[in-house]
Amino acid sequence: MKTLLRVDWIGVALQASIAIVVLLASAILPAFALAQDAPLTRQEELRQQREAKSRSVKPYKPGSLEGGALYVQKERLLERFAEGWKGFHPVLGGMSTGSGFAGGVRYEKGFADGALSFKTSGAISTRVYQLYDLSFGAPKLLGGKLSLDFYSRYRSFPQEDFFGLGPDSRKQDRTNFAQEDSLFDFTLGWNWTRWLTTGARVGYLQTNIGRGTDKRFPSTEDLFSPADFPELIQQPNYYHADAFFRIDYRDEPRNTHSGGFFELTYKYYDDRKLNLYSFRRFDADLQQFFPFLKKKRVIAFRAHTALSDTSSGQSMPFFMMPADSGAIALRGYREFRFRDRNFIVMNLEYRWEAFSGLDMAIFGDAGKVASRRRDVNLKDLESDVGFGFRFNTIKSVFLRIDVGFSHEGTRVFFKFEPAF
Amino acid sequence: MNERPDGVRNREIRQQPDSVCTRNARSKNKQEACIHNGYPAILRAAVSLGFALSVAVVSIFFSSTASAQKFRPDDPIWKDEDTLNIPEPKPGTVADYYDFLENTFFGPGDERRVRALNINTVGEVPASSWFTNRHGRTPMTVDELVRGPDRGGPSREKRWQVIRNKLGGITPGFRVVDATGTTYQLKFDPLSNPEMATSAEVICTKFFYAIGYFVAEDYLVSFSSDDIELSPKAQFVDLTGKRRPMTVKDIDEILLRAYRGADGRYRAIASKFIEGSPLGGYRYYGTRPDDPNDIVPHEHRRELRGLRVFSAWLNHDDSRSVNTFDTLVKGNGSQFIRHYLFDFGSTLGSASVFAQKPRAGNEYLWEPGPTFKSIFSLGLWVRPWIRVDYPNYPSLGNFEADFFQPEKWKPEYPNPAFDNMTDEDAFWAAKIVMCFSDDQLRAIVKTGQLSDARAEAYLTETIIKRRDKVGRYWLNQVNPLDEFRVEGSTLAFDNAAVRLLKGVAAADSYLVQWHRFDNHKQTQEPTGSKITSKEPRLDIPSAAFEGSSDGVGHYALLEITTQSRHYPSWARPLRVYLRKNNTGVAVVGIERD
Repeated sequence: MKTLLRVDWIGVALQASIAIVVLLASAILPAFALAQDAPLTRQEELRQQREAKSRSVKPYKPGSLEGGALYVQKERLLERFAEGWKGFHPVLGGMSTGSGFAGGVRYEKGFADGALSFKTSGAISTRVYQLYDLSFGAPKLLGGKLSLDFYSRYRSFPQEDFFGLGPDSRKQDRTNFAQEDSLFDFTLGWNWTRWLTTGARVGYLQTNIGRGTDKRFPSTEDLFSPADFPELIQQPNYYHADAFFRIDYRDEPRNTHSGGFFELTYKYYDDRKLNLYSFRRFDADLQQFFPFLKKKRVIAFRAHTALSDTSSGQSMPFFMMPADSGAIALRGYREFRFRDRNFIVMNLEYRWEAFSGLDMAIFGDAGKVASRRRDVNLKDLESDVGFGFRFNTIKSVFLRIDVGFSHEGTRVFFKFEPAF
Repeated sequence: MNERPDGVRNREIRQQPDSVCTRNARSKNKQEACIHNGYPAILRAAVSLGFALSVAVVSIFFSSTASAQKFRPDDPIWKDEDTLNIPEPKPGTVADYYDFLENTFFGPGDERRVRALNINTVGEVPASSWFTNRHGRTPMTVDELVRGPDRGGPSREKRWQVIRNKLGGITPGFRVVDATGTTYQLKFDPLSNPEMATSAEVICTKFFYAIGYFVAEDYLVSFSSDDIELSPKAQFVDLTGKRRPMTVKDIDEILLRAYRGADGRYRAIASKFIEGSPLGGYRYYGTRPDDPNDIVPHEHRRELRGLRVFSAWLNHDDSRSVNTFDTLVKGNGSQFIRHYLFDFGSTLGSASVFAQKPRAGNEYLWEPGPTFKSIFSLGLWVRPWIRVDYPNYPSLGNFEADFFQPEKWKPEYPNPAFDNMTDEDAFWAAKIVMCFSDDQLRAIVKTGQLSDARAEAYLTETIIKRRDKVGRYWLNQVNPLDEFRVEGSTLAFDNAAVRLLKGVAAADSYLVQWHRFDNHKQTQEPTGSKITSKEPRLDIPSAAFEGSSDGVGHYALLEITTQSRHYPSWARPLRVYLRKNNTGVAVVGIERD
């Protein structure tokens, strides 16, 4: 109401009359203008458009996402991440299966133009698994023929699973124990050719076992008697000596599509502390990759066996026994589900490329453990099937997700490394 | 050039008026609020007059725009004067990973399939700072084709001074300065594929230059360790960007990754630094907001759309923003931006540091359709290109013509200009491709200096086969009539498909309708009835020019479809506009549907 009262009727009339005149003029003027002016040339039209734009030039401003990407690129953050900082690099994964997500730091430095290398790392997982190691080596002596390496490691794995020994161990007997050891190894390798290497390793291993920290399950000594497993009370310290023979002609060791890998290892562990737990172990790890359709499809096969024996009066501690389940063995079972002195496990995978950054896989695993070597055969195998995703670059698988199914349930593994 | 159709999105141009309008609207409301708060009537009247006059000016502008002529007196133009002096632009960079993500997942640019916006009225690309139709407009001699952009090459008077390692890209290399002080970037072949990347680079540089793009001068050179020396000021920049004095060992390490011939010499591409100040790459959409000359959205530029055809032909799968380059060219007191294509190491069968992957050219790096088909079929569905066999020529990598389908070829990831390519754009490009004769192709391939004669012959044969496939497909997607010319009182024309392709039968007949055309109103009125002609020559009816004049001349419009039993697409309409004035009759417009 107030506004209405303030209306200036003279002003309104004046404005209205002016508007009518101007609008009439605007209707007539264009035709007049067109009749009088010479037609605009194309070049002139373009010049005018450019002049119009020149009045509002401004630098290109990237959006936030693009700006972020530019920052990463300009500051070379990815390269710096890969290159590390003053020799320090981040570490992801690499811990025992079942340890949870692990991360840490690695320090690496080369000396004498790369003739000598020094590495040390430390990592801890969400389940407080810890691993610290250090190595010093000369990887390319005598023109690359000879390699020497010193490696030492301390690890503390506080909740390793143990279900008892043998193929008949029960799922419900799940216990856990803390394992701690220190290792000092010296390795000498001789590269006969690019694909054939032989070598020997000697070292010292100090072991220790304690109560498991996973409160959901009993600690191992609460379910399994120290009478049956005296190593729960006293643990050995070993001097060990290994010899190995390796043929490796895979196209890319960390993202293999063709070739093969064959390694035979003989190990002798001498219990110098208790003289109770000395043993010998022979490992054969055979991998062959059959590509087809230009390596876009691969049949990958692995057979791995470990055979152990002891002299009379000696036994093999359960925590030194090989286990055939986990992320790279029987993937439909919990890690370390089956343990014994001997095992055989076979993995068959059919891999196919979904796109250049992802390979898919369907797999089947079969294997068994046995206390006697003669029981290592293809009868009564435990088995599982599953599928997997392998995110990769040309050179390596950087993330692997495997889902395994067995009569004991479904298992999902996230690993930052290839299956095999 | 065509006018920009209403509504065509150009981010930079579009945003500007919106924001201005918004500001004006706000300030207008404020003014009106002030006026109603006690100013004298006369002042109010003056303000009203000013406002009304503004409205009138805008009305005049739009009404004149609405009645703008289709053809201007100087149409068709053959040069776009986009080299006007501009203010100093700011150098920029195209973020490599973002470019992939944006183009793969967000589809930037105006996606409407409108006609290219930088063509002249007869459908050709005027020469500009982007492109100069060289071989397609005026056939180049073999010597000119072989020389390409090259104007001399690095001087051999003194040892080349190594001044820095190569940054960016994936091929090993370093920068050298020759005796004349000219800087070159040296790039090498991978150890696995001697001669591959260098030959691909030098060959395709010649091709893209002859086609019409601005490219760097690339020279194939051979040198030994004695021909180079470390400059005292040489710098080594590592992957993280840290600088330090370069050492002889750095050079040795780079050379360790380079192929060395049996004669102990290294073969390399010496790429001359492009003239002008570097400004970074351009995007295949939008315009540079700091370049007043850049008024046509890049996704609507004919030469960038048509680049898809050229890239398909030569398997330039790396045709993305990262491999483009803007420079600020200065001279005669002015400066403007020139736009380059560069780095042709990933062309033909080469992927620069290894042989080209079979996927390249056949599928984007990420493409959901094939990916999910592969996943859910458990790999039983096999991508067709996987089964393609390539001959074993390490110096060529993976390059073939039998499986190649020009219309299905793809770069590494989507390119907005390529996605907007119309059949007319492709027709334009395919005509240029077909301008290269077998002998000319052979001569250009020879510049790659492949030591294996069988590899060279295979490469030539493959490029020829791919050329013919490009022509056979794209020249037959539209009405291929071209070379319209007035000869006396007749309009003669040609058929590009018949002229440029082998074994293509001539048209059965032409269905023709003449119109009077009003250039102001852009209206047409038929004169006479449709006629059928069997000859590529039509009498021009004088009645067709009886429409009103625009002051420059009278206009006639010919609508023509081509009847062919073999090529149904030839029946797509084609419009030819003629202008008659006291200088005679001339073709001023050609439009293909």
